[in-house]
Amino acid sequence: MRRGFDSLSPGTFPPDVSPDSRQDFAFAFLSILFEGAPFILLGTLISGFIDIYLPAGTMDRLLPRRKFPAILVAGLLGAILPVCECAVVPVIRRLVKKGLPVSCALTYMLAAPIVNPITALSTWKAFKGPEIPFGEGVSYSASLVMTASRLGLGFLVAVLVGVVVARIPMVKLLRQRLVDSIQKDDNPGHDHKDCGHDHHHHHEGCGHDHGHDHDHDHKGCGHDHGHHHHHGKDDNRLIAAFRSAMRDFVDVGVYFTIGIAITALFNTGIAPGAEWLDSLAKNNLVAPAALMALAFVLSLCSTSDAFIAATLDKFTYGAKLAFLVFGPMLDVKLLFLYQTVLKKRFILWLALGLFVFIGAVSIAWQAAIFSLANP
Amino acid sequence: MNPKLQRVLFSLALLTWAGVLIYFYATGRIAKYLAPDFRPLVMAGGLGLAVVGFFNLLTATQEASCGHDHGPDDTHDHESLDVHPLAAFLILLVPLCVGVAWTKDAFSLGSLTRKGLMDTPADASSLILGAGMPQLTKELIEKQHPKNADGYHSFGLMELFFSAGDPEMRELVGGMQVETEGRVIKDPDAPVPTQRRLYRLFITCCAADSRAIPIIVRFKDEVPQVADNTWMKLTGTIRYPDEGEGFIPVLEVDHAAEAPPPPEESFMRSNF
Repeated sequence: MRRGFDSLSPGTFPPDVSPDSRQDFAFAFLSILFEGAPFILLGTLISGFIDIYLPAGTMDRLLPRRKFPAILVAGLLGAILPVCECAVVPVIRRLVKKGLPVSCALTYMLAAPIVNPITALSTWKAFKGPEIPFGEGVSYSASLVMTASRLGLGFLVAVLVGVVVARIPMVKLLRQRLVDSIQKDDNPGHDHKDCGHDHHHHHEGCGHDHGHDHDHDHKGCGHDHGHHHHHGKDDNRLIAAFRSAMRDFVDVGVYFTIGIAITALFNTGIAPGAEWLDSLAKNNLVAPAALMALAFVLSLCSTSDAFIAATLDKFTYGAKLAFLVFGPMLDVKLLFLYQTVLKKRFILWLALGLFVFIGAVSIAWQAAIFSLANP
Repeated sequence: MNPKLQRVLFSLALLTWAGVLIYFYATGRIAKYLAPDFRPLVMAGGLGLAVVGFFNLLTATQEASCGHDHGPDDTHDHESLDVHPLAAFLILLVPLCVGVAWTKDAFSLGSLTRKGLMDTPADASSLILGAGMPQLTKELIEKQHPKNADGYHSFGLMELFFSAGDPEMRELVGGMQVETEGRVIKDPDAPVPTQRRLYRLFITCCAADSRAIPIIVRFKDEVPQVADNTWMKLTGTIRYPDEGEGFIPVLEVDHAAEAPPPPEESFMRSNF
């Protein structure tokens, strides 16, 4: 049977796609869209309201002062302050400028899109149904196994990155402009007599700020205070929150739409290369790499990517785990966003490290499951 | 782009998404796309999108403050996007509208073939899929599969399919007179001209993750002259011969009749 692009008439524009291919694409596309859209809305509503209503100093006030506990807590902050990977970069950029150590900020940046209740819920729902055998008469639901594995591995990777980064000088990690901005705040050359409040400095531990709610003007200060201000337009903050939520929905929805369109083309065998991708699925070493590359290209939101991973039915759960952990930590759009905070050289090393480590753990995870199921 | 125009465009995009979600839920077409657990979420998501869309549309011209300062180098605002607003608007709407226009609420034969319709039923009885099915025992069979008026035990097609992968079940169910239903389709690899496939879709969450689950059916005399994908109720004797590819479920048909389509496809936790 002729399928997909094989059935295109050469030299015609727009391409003459066969009715079967249209039908298949539309059915798969809509089914994934219907499944994921409510979760995107939930995530963007929460992030929109956090964006407007959450005082900027909240997050760093929650962190311990000692370095390692601070990194551990930073890896879990997404559980109470859920932010997707698109929204997290501006947040950590602001926090780093306010004195949050880079190790804590990067740990939060990598973990928050995965270790949060919305991602956990969507992963649970996406994998609901099948059982994964763990030996004779023992099996657990794929929902439980995949959700726990995803959150656990995401947390582990983020904390490891935080621990490694804590040993690297800030100037080798951050963009020069950001470093200059921080050093300027640490060694203020300007007169603070007009400011009259506490400033944010780097502590040995986590370096959170200690801002308080107070009203004042900004004459002569010229830097970010990181606490709640009252500008007399509070009545309109609900409008701002809804606008922020709509912006987030559109931002995420664009990548989600492109992602599910590509996934639907592969899912139904229409896309060129679909059979090649399928041929990689059973190769335990190559399959996780292939899905990590796919996650990088698709640039999906962590709140909805599980629905796409679940439809990649030719692939093992191990490869899907690699897709679900690597994607929220590094993809095309994040590559650009990270450059607003990090040096390109560090991003390259980070990408390489994430790819190798997540791939290796996923392969080992799949091998362990297989050996338990087939003793 | 003018911020007010951008808000109006995005509000319209959200309202369109809301309309599609609510329409598919309200008309019941959603049953073709999603497992039962997910359907109420579609309605809730549609209503939520409608609220956000309408709110932003009605307040598009109003001034609003986010209430916090952004610092000297922090250029972020709460409405800018990674992509051009008009491009975002088109990306949100064009594929959705094309999908709604093209969908027939089902996969074509080509896509079903990719999803396992023409795979050997012996291969398809995978451990993971089978582990999701309830364990069958003789007591359970007698309790859950009462005989119909003609003396045939009523079986779900998926039970017959998965029983082929279990030696005990093959022993237990093989030779039993059964009744089952599914969609009939021609079998291009049939060794005999009276052979067809009877299948249902096996869906865990959404149609995109569905698998076609087929068994072999062999008619004793004439094959009913029905179109591919016609829903039929078949009665006959189930056997599990090994014809070189492993044990496969084969129904030797005594009687066949067209049947009305069930209200929805098969799902992992019900209707199998």
